[in-house]
Amino acid sequence: MSAAANHAPAQAQPYKTNLTPEILGLIIFLVSEIALFGAFFMYYTNLRVLKGIDWPGSFDIPTDGTSINTLILVASSFTCEFALLSLVRRKKWPVFGWLLLTFTLGAIFLGLQVHEYMTIGFTPKDTSVGAIFFSLTGLHGVHVFIGLVLLLLGMIRAAFGRWSPEHHVGLLGISIYWHFVDIVWIILYTVVYCLPGVVTPAG
Amino acid sequence: MTSVLKPTLARCLWTAPAFAALAVLLTTIARATFGMTPVLQEDTLLTVSYIAGGIGFIVGIGGFDYWWTWMAGGVLDPHDHSTHGAKSWRDYFLFNTDHKVIGIQYIVFTFVMFLVGGMFAEVFRSELAKPGQQVLTNEQYNAMISQHGTIMIFVFLVPIFAGIGNYVIPLMLGAADMAFPRLNAVSFWLLPVAAFTLLSSFAFGSFDGGWTGYPTLSEQSPFGMTLYQLGIQLAGASSIATAVNFLATIITMRAPGMTLFRMPLLVWANLATSALVVAATPFIAGAQFMSMFDREMGTHFFTMGGGGDTLVYQHIFWFYSHPAVYIMVLPGFGIISEVIATHARKPVFGYRAVAFSSAGIAVLGFSVWAHHMFASGMQSWLRVPIMLATLLIAVPTGIKIFSWLGTLWDGVIRMTTANLFAIGFIFTFVIGGLSGVMLAVIPFDVSITNSYFIVAHFHYVLFGGSIMTIYAGLYHWYPKVTGRMYNEKLGRWHFWLTFVFMNLTFFPMHYQGLLGMPRRVADYAPQFEWSNTLISISAFILGASTLIFVYNLIHSARHGKVAGDNPWGGLTLEWALSSPPPTFNFPATPRVIGGPYRYGEEGARHAIVPEPEPAVVEKTYAAAGDQA
Repeated sequence: MSAAANHAPAQAQPYKTNLTPEILGLIIFLVSEIALFGAFFMYYTNLRVLKGIDWPGSFDIPTDGTSINTLILVASSFTCEFALLSLVRRKKWPVFGWLLLTFTLGAIFLGLQVHEYMTIGFTPKDTSVGAIFFSLTGLHGVHVFIGLVLLLLGMIRAAFGRWSPEHHVGLLGISIYWHFVDIVWIILYTVVYCLPGVVTPAG
Repeated sequence: MTSVLKPTLARCLWTAPAFAALAVLLTTIARATFGMTPVLQEDTLLTVSYIAGGIGFIVGIGGFDYWWTWMAGGVLDPHDHSTHGAKSWRDYFLFNTDHKVIGIQYIVFTFVMFLVGGMFAEVFRSELAKPGQQVLTNEQYNAMISQHGTIMIFVFLVPIFAGIGNYVIPLMLGAADMAFPRLNAVSFWLLPVAAFTLLSSFAFGSFDGGWTGYPTLSEQSPFGMTLYQLGIQLAGASSIATAVNFLATIITMRAPGMTLFRMPLLVWANLATSALVVAATPFIAGAQFMSMFDREMGTHFFTMGGGGDTLVYQHIFWFYSHPAVYIMVLPGFGIISEVIATHARKPVFGYRAVAFSSAGIAVLGFSVWAHHMFASGMQSWLRVPIMLATLLIAVPTGIKIFSWLGTLWDGVIRMTTANLFAIGFIFTFVIGGLSGVMLAVIPFDVSITNSYFIVAHFHYVLFGGSIMTIYAGLYHWYPKVTGRMYNEKLGRWHFWLTFVFMNLTFFPMHYQGLLGMPRRVADYAPQFEWSNTLISISAFILGASTLIFVYNLIHSARHGKVAGDNPWGGLTLEWALSSPPPTFNFPATPRVIGGPYRYGEEGARHAIVPEPEPAVVEKTYAAAGDQA
């Protein structure tokens, strides 16, 4: 895909790896993304679990709508994988269709998330718990948005028939990134929405 | 007309303002739509225009030119080497994908930033030369020390090792380039943006929180503090991108036969450093994001009023910034192993122990962050484990020291300037390391905290540690980079002036600190006068000695005597190439057949570079010819 692949020595490596530099680099980058989310989870854990501060005012976190939203995002991870699997048919429209479905599911997720922001009843300015709630979910939202842009680029290239079983490093990268966004959301959903958070009584 | 459309710095002159203007427009529309008041808020507009202007700069210099085709669904030409290699000095100001060009860009740019940061130090040393305040106001003094620390750490010490690694590591691995040449260029060009962001904060009241930027002071500072936070994010993004690149290069692009334990120790050190960068740097990004939200969006992450917790900033900040200390010195350890083995003509003593100690430092580095916070009022149960972990980290560091001494022992030592700096480094770094062990002990730290003892300690580690290794490395690889020898006599002058006046500058600070002189204050009690005057005079001479180095490097690049391919008789792969190396490095993929430090063995070889096969030559030079 990039010139790097051509620069790589043609001979077998002593430590044989099936990873191309591109995919390895992406995985290493995702490790640093995990660390970025880790910084925000550190703050969240300190605030909610160690210090036991509850949601601002009398508001509580909405879980029902978000559960459906979680299912939507998990489903999009599968449709993304079907796009890769459909490569073997060597036709461009199945790939495009699955990517379009993934993109739509992702966009619905983001829309519902924005809807939740507007109806949740507190703002980022309402205490530190409000701030960390919006920045954790917002950071994830930014990643969903970047994922949507990448899916769009994948669709454009699919429409030109650029993906094939032999050449699909870019599409593989996009799908790995999309799975990462999905996994982060599952963790975030579990920690922020499902677990009781406040373990010790406030004070 | 065409010059402002081609990827040059001239194009940046309109893309950066255009992106900034677009961002201002979109922000204003968004604020008006959502009914936020006031619609035009100066700080918000400045913040978004800095972010967008930075992206515009990267677009302007040509960071995305290759990818527009990809994004539009077109076919890329993987043999497109049009941005590869430099023919004249002008090419060093362009977006270039050759790791050797990027290495030089890094080294020159960061060294200029070293001189800038050093100038700030000279300015506040002139203030501190006498008691009372003569030169600077309190605000200016705070701005100077904060800029000094931030510039030195984020746009000099961290990236210059990336620069040296960029030049040397692909050569040592027998690779043609880094794994991601374009990402490599983007991560270099992020640095000028970061430096501009930090330095331009002078126009907005600068920042006064030191290089650490603790809230709640940072949340009351003028707009310059936001630029500090943005500048750190940009420099951090640059170093993460470089680290990803190094890891992918080291893992996938080693020449055949280069097993992990045949890698030169600089490669090992960079492997450990890159792992640290990838895992740690996002934490400072997180801390700065939260602090920036507090400042620009009115959230309550670190303000007590809204239930925030100021101490968490320090935890998250040091969770990066302690590993960052190793990021700033581990590659230097690697350089010293190379320099000492080559110039003492001995195999590195305890190669595997040194390799594992790099990895050990990288792992232990994550468990010691809170020793910066012994006096901060954090949970007291955290103190003792952190103290023990900090003391433990002296073990892998000690292994390295003994390895260097063991390598020197009974060697055929050549006292070149590079080796002088390496040996001088061992001396000063041991002082810095020992005062670090003292500071790890809680009772000592609590009584000495925030005094000049701390300043002495970290300058012995960062100047006596990192900068001495940088000098050693730059002298060591100078003949390889330029093809000419530096002036050995001037080099010796540079070494002795640096070594003597570095010690005279920083050693009296131990004494001042033990007597209780507080750091970060523009004035001091009269009894510290003579030691401060001595420090200031030494600092001026230390600064002037750098000019000898600059003159030596610039002058010798033209007039030095021709070095030849292998002036030091080094065995590692970079010495198997011509000086300077050809654009695509190796004419054919080398084969590694032994360890990298088999000095003193008759006929020992680290690697064989085969004669180029005719087909390979044709392909390589056809690609090189295309760009002409």
